[in-house]
Amino acid sequence: MLSLEQELQRCQQEAERYRLLAEQSTDMISRHTPTPEWTFIDVNPAVERVLGYSVEEIIGTPGYDLFHPDDAENFIKRAESVRYHRGMYTNLSRCQHRDGHYIWLETTSRTIRDDAGKPVEIICVSRDVTAREMAQQSTRRLARVVEASSDMIMFCNHRTLQLTYLNESAYQTLGAERENLTAINLNELFSEETLATLVKPALQHASLYSIWYGSIPFYPADNPGRIAEVREVIAHRNRAESMQVEYYSIIARDITLKRQAEEKVKRQQLEMAHMSRLLSVGEMATELAHEINQPLATIINYCNGTLRRLDEGQATPLEQLTRSMRLISKQALRASEIIKRMRGFVRRTEFQRTSFAVNETCVEVTEFLNQEAIDNNICFHFELAAEDPIIEADRLQIEQVLLNLVRNAIESYAGSSLSARPVTIETRSLEGKCVRVSVIDQGSGISPEQLENLFEPFASSKETGLGMGLSISHTIIESHCGRLWVESDGRSGTQFHFQLPVKGQT
Amino acid sequence: MTKAKPAVFIVDDDADFRDSMQWLLESTPYPVETFASAQAFLDAYDGRAGCMLLDVRMPEINGLALQQLMREQDIRLPVVIITGHGDVPMAVNAMKNGALDFIEKPFDDEILLQLVDRAMTEAEKLFSEQQQERELRTLYEVLSRREREVMQLVVSGNSNREIAETLGISPKTVEVHRSRVMSKMRAESLAALVQMNNRLNA
Repeated sequence: MLSLEQELQRCQQEAERYRLLAEQSTDMISRHTPTPEWTFIDVNPAVERVLGYSVEEIIGTPGYDLFHPDDAENFIKRAESVRYHRGMYTNLSRCQHRDGHYIWLETTSRTIRDDAGKPVEIICVSRDVTAREMAQQSTRRLARVVEASSDMIMFCNHRTLQLTYLNESAYQTLGAERENLTAINLNELFSEETLATLVKPALQHASLYSIWYGSIPFYPADNPGRIAEVREVIAHRNRAESMQVEYYSIIARDITLKRQAEEKVKRQQLEMAHMSRLLSVGEMATELAHEINQPLATIINYCNGTLRRLDEGQATPLEQLTRSMRLISKQALRASEIIKRMRGFVRRTEFQRTSFAVNETCVEVTEFLNQEAIDNNICFHFELAAEDPIIEADRLQIEQVLLNLVRNAIESYAGSSLSARPVTIETRSLEGKCVRVSVIDQGSGISPEQLENLFEPFASSKETGLGMGLSISHTIIESHCGRLWVESDGRSGTQFHFQLPVKGQT
Repeated sequence: MTKAKPAVFIVDDDADFRDSMQWLLESTPYPVETFASAQAFLDAYDGRAGCMLLDVRMPEINGLALQQLMREQDIRLPVVIITGHGDVPMAVNAMKNGALDFIEKPFDDEILLQLVDRAMTEAEKLFSEQQQERELRTLYEVLSRREREVMQLVVSGNSNREIAETLGISPKTVEVHRSRVMSKMRAESLAALVQMNNRLNA
């Protein structure tokens, strides 16, 4: 039986050990008044490391004042950050360090009550969890980015090819319901052939090189009318152990709107090309009328000449009369050819790629401009590629571009006193991959200022015309995966060039 | 100087049209000559009387330019302009250049033939004027330097005495020169001489 004294000594030793324990703890252990201020009564030296205050400084100050304004009411509001378990509260909140910055503290507290149940004091153990909180926060943010991304992000099991996670965009595009999610397998998204020839090789590539980029289009079965495209596959490895692939992230994008927009642009472009054609015909109406009047006037002359001879009873040899008849029909054919050519030119057709020889088209377009060339003393020169390159494009649109460029070349001589007025049309095969078509004049040239916005709509320098020609031509060539550009010294001529891939190189 | 019959000269670059014009005009009494370009006409023209049917739109030298060249080379032919549809502004310019009239393709043969008749009448007038002017010039060429000086002073309204003073010769000598001028120029009166002088200087 221990004596009371021994008992007391043992208790003192025990208390001393606890005090030491408390003093050595890296967690902050503190005692507070049970008032709303939670004034510090006592605290272990860890306070200095955690909050930056010395023990002496902090005793007597209200603990409440240290809370971040947003977190101060947590206890009172019983916010989510406060958990209650067997008389102990655990609270996660931000407290202000002596330096002014905030740290995250996870505090466990217990209220000490007297025999009557009246609160005597509150004991708290607080731990600095800032590093952990920050890490969690950035993980949460990353997760939110993935979830909210407009790209479709899907996690895929590397063995079963089952999708284990879909973000919001993926759900929407696939037409899947978040609530009653049935596991989707990659073989439901892609056709057997696509899966075997495109998707699996992509996964294979990613598993070897970590990442695969490309484009695999697919059409979600549950969401008809939508088109999506897989663009990236990332293989995630287990870094801690075997370095084996654990799962894939598949990143895809809903391209329905983009496709629709592309279709719309294509349609509009067709409209534009057609409009441009009509405008050209409108501008050329005078030439056309003149051209058609020519055979008409000739026909009328032959008719009237013949009638006169008959009326006057002149003895005209029959062969002379039949000759004039033959000439009349020849002229009528000539007129109808002109009309046919014009109708062929303005006919409206859908965008269609056909194979045709560029050289031939160049010659045809200049034939159409023959009258305009004659009136302006223009002489066409051809330097055509001997390889006779074949391109695959919308013929009407390419004709329109050539027409615009050749007409520009003719007009470049307006107001010029030059008597030799060549317009050279050159085609050149570039290593069998591309064909370059150049329309070259020696007219007045284009000033550097005009060159700058030459391809903008309504940038016309002419008195007539809308200034749409070059803008439309530019769009047409670009849409054929080609390029249209211009060179001019602003004085002695202009060279327009466009380049298109030859057939089989697109 | 040829005495050939006045002809209709057609200048048009369209061979078929030229041929048809020839066919039409061959039913008239006028000889027809056609040219494929302004240059071909200038090269071939021999000063013969006639009228011209001229296409305004032609390569190289167009109708308007040919009118200018004809004026420079003193080729006096009444010109009827033939225009295509929509060439009215060009036709207006051609009229300002002195064309007789213009006609739009395609045209009625009656109207064309009336125009050709009118142009031929005009051509005869122009041709006889030109003829007279040529004759007058031939006469004037024969005058000596002194006679020309006297003639200038006479038509300016100077008296024999004034002329004698100006030229520093005797009034008697002036009188001799003056009567030689009158007879060489075949002028019946002073008024006729003044007219001749005006025509020479036109």
